[in-house]
Amino acid sequence: MGRWDVRISFQTLKVLEAFLENPTGELSGADVHKSSAIASGTLYPILLRLESAGWLVSRWEAIDPASAGRPRRRLYRLTRNGLARAGEVFASFGRGVTA
Amino acid sequence: MSQKHGWFDGVVLGLIQHAAHKAPPALSARLEEEWLADLEGHRGGFARLRFALGCAWATRVIAHELAAPVGAAASAGARTATLLGPIAPLLSRRTTVAALIGVLHVLVIVGLASGIASGVLQVPATPMHIDFIVRAARPAAPPPPPDPTLVQFRPHLPTPQWTAATTGEGAITVPTAQAPAPTAAAAPPQKQVVRLSGGPGRGFPNTADYYPPAAIRLDEKGITSVRVCVDGAGRLTADPVIAQSSGSARLDAAALRLAQAGSGHYLPSTEDGRPVSACYPFGVRFELK
Repeated sequence: MGRWDVRISFQTLKVLEAFLENPTGELSGADVHKSSAIASGTLYPILLRLESAGWLVSRWEAIDPASAGRPRRRLYRLTRNGLARAGEVFASFGRGVTA
Repeated sequence: MSQKHGWFDGVVLGLIQHAAHKAPPALSARLEEEWLADLEGHRGGFARLRFALGCAWATRVIAHELAAPVGAAASAGARTATLLGPIAPLLSRRTTVAALIGVLHVLVIVGLASGIASGVLQVPATPMHIDFIVRAARPAAPPPPPDPTLVQFRPHLPTPQWTAATTGEGAITVPTAQAPAPTAAAAPPQKQVVRLSGGPGRGFPNTADYYPPAAIRLDEKGITSVRVCVDGAGRLTADPVIAQSSGSARLDAAALRLAQAGSGHYLPSTEDGRPVSACYPFGVRFELK
């Protein structure tokens, strides 16, 4: 596991990078897939792993599925702790985060 | 669902729902709703199927991680596991292996159908060197014999002196007939015709394009001599035939296809520099280096 309480793989870095593009924004799994091109079989375990570690929090999209005509999405966003940890991760690879 | 694609979409939805139901009970409903919502962002049957298969795999990974939290994440994992309760077993080993075999078959079929593997199969292990063996221009043919001409032969015989004489009246004297001197007909002037055999010319197809992949894999090489009949414009006037086999039916067939495809790109044979219709053999060398 190393220095962090989450296993940092290349795919995990790409997921974090997607969130760091807009640290206060909320992204669904499909949004992260579009920006990181990570397959669903890898993406969702990473999202749950980051959420379990407290780097991400999630909530249901506030829509009425019946009126919207589609299921509500699960939206994830970085926590303050997650933002700090992601910054440490990228800084350790020589890339600073200013957010 | 905003899009329905018939039975195929039913398969995709079924896969996602099955995967979600196999997830830990506390996550099952959430994952199903989340995945069905995210499925809307995938267009195309193949992308949706890949997404659904990924969800099945994600279920397996999630259950595995929650079942055995290790290292520094143990506390977080244990907290989550406590929240989730007992973890339901996922796909059985037999089902997983069968699914993987099925997926591999689909990938191989798709790969072959789309020609992805053709590049790998057709790349020879070693560089290929192919060249033509064009017969050297033949030296000027010896002049043909002159056209046969009937020469009237008259044997030279001594001229008889016919003299009939009688002793008496009515003596008859036959005048001597002088035979004409024999003459030989003058031979026509002999003309030398310079003939040059033709061969593959500019724009002739590349032999490498006709090297059978099976022959490359089997390291078959050789020279096939093909006889072609070409008119003055370099076009075939008859189907090419094998003049001498290379010993490989594959290479011979490829040489015939090449010779057929080269129609219009042959150098015609010439007589005194004038293109003429003629038949001639030429060699096609299939060689791997």
